[in-house]
Amino acid sequence: MPRWGLVLDLQRCIGCYSCTVACRVENQTPAGVWFTPVYEKEIGTYPQVRRMFLPTLCNHCQDALCIKACPTGAISKRPDGIVLVSQDVCCGSRACIAACPYGAMHFYSDWQGDFEGHLTPFEELARDRYQPGTALKCTLCVHRIDQGILRPACVETCPTECRIFGDLDDPESAPNKLITGRKGLALRPEAGTDPSVRYVL
Amino acid sequence: MHSGNPFTGRFVIEPKPQNVWGLTHAVWFFAMGLGGGLYLNRLLFGIDFGEALGMPAAVVLGMTLVIVSGLILVADLGRPIRAPRAFYNIRRSWISVGAVAHFTFLVLEAVLLLPYLTIAESQPFAGVFWAPGTTAALVLSWASAVPAFVIIVYPGLVLACSPSIPFWNTTLIPLQFLGSALAGGAAIAYLFGASRAPAIVVALGAVLATLGFTVAHIFNARYQRGAALTALAQVLRGALAPHFVWGNLILGLVLPSAALLLHLTGILVAASLPWTGALILLGSFLAKYAVIKAGHYAPLF
Repeated sequence: MPRWGLVLDLQRCIGCYSCTVACRVENQTPAGVWFTPVYEKEIGTYPQVRRMFLPTLCNHCQDALCIKACPTGAISKRPDGIVLVSQDVCCGSRACIAACPYGAMHFYSDWQGDFEGHLTPFEELARDRYQPGTALKCTLCVHRIDQGILRPACVETCPTECRIFGDLDDPESAPNKLITGRKGLALRPEAGTDPSVRYVL
Repeated sequence: MHSGNPFTGRFVIEPKPQNVWGLTHAVWFFAMGLGGGLYLNRLLFGIDFGEALGMPAAVVLGMTLVIVSGLILVADLGRPIRAPRAFYNIRRSWISVGAVAHFTFLVLEAVLLLPYLTIAESQPFAGVFWAPGTTAALVLSWASAVPAFVIIVYPGLVLACSPSIPFWNTTLIPLQFLGSALAGGAAIAYLFGASRAPAIVVALGAVLATLGFTVAHIFNARYQRGAALTALAQVLRGALAPHFVWGNLILGLVLPSAALLLHLTGILVAASLPWTGALILLGSFLAKYAVIKAGHYAPLF
């Protein structure tokens, strides 16, 4: 059984947000819910200043704190390492949102469009996809992966190929080679979550 | 500055305030703590304040507070109808542990109060084998102490198990909750006229312990980085300073400590005890509100 994961090459990310938008289109998330935000930060001191981008998503942790926090058992990890929220079981306690060290959990209270007063045809279609009052998160586009041929939408769309998707348990996979060759790092390692998303600088 | 990019500035790496928990959670934590505190104070220290409907008032009020806090918790869920599912993850989730303790406490209290039930001037259950004064009643009373303790501390443990919010991520929070629950239980007794020495000693000890845990929490946050410091600045100098510094530290902890000491030495008269109790309760609530609202997510790096 593979362990699906991603390596994000920060040297390649140009902060174009195409992953953010592609994810939103693919997963039809409600207004204000972004599964793959790209964070930005200015680093250095003048005149040696540059803008750094940090593309993120749910880290699909092997020791996921959201699973521990959820009182209903709505969050589970599949054998291939993908962590999913069951919309039919979640009671909306929001404990997972407080527990996640990566800010990857979202609470969906009610459908709101991006534009005041009306819904776009896209939003009309998307409105019934999620249950109000439940938690939402990135699924690593499990519906695409399960077809066996497609990668997550954020990976497919990235113009700089900063997101490298593959089996972290396979020593010959592209992400694994990057992790070993360029010392892949985890975000917030002190949380002890063993995430399936790593970063190379 | 308008950059033309709608995402610019939206996802900046910095400590961000949590906005999923707030006032309703503060009320839930406060009422739940008081309910457990009233029960433990009566069981451990004999702090009671008469009868209500022929039953021990401390137990009736404690049970009512726990019921109210449970209803607040359920109403705050995104899908309240699924509340019974909160019993499912008891091995891993503190909320599940709390839900089970909550339910167990209410069932045991109802059983304990049954012999007192008066219908048409008669007590049909007065002869049950766990009637007051029997060994079975004693066993049930002590068995109830376990869920009573759990419902006091589990909200604090829920907060403490949030590594994403460093200001909450400390065992000092459940300890504060325990101290303020015991102090709050005694404070309610003052409001209903109790003025015996045990109630004053228990409250003084609990208030001083809470003060110590609160100061330790401040120092703990002081020596961290990023989000914990942002939260600390908010409770000490920012928008939450009136709640935390004035409401909790000064009015809710320091002033009552001094007043209780004066009561013990006989300088203050018993008539001022209800005021002391009111201050303790005010501080206990504001502390919970300020700590919850001050929570900031740590930046990703």
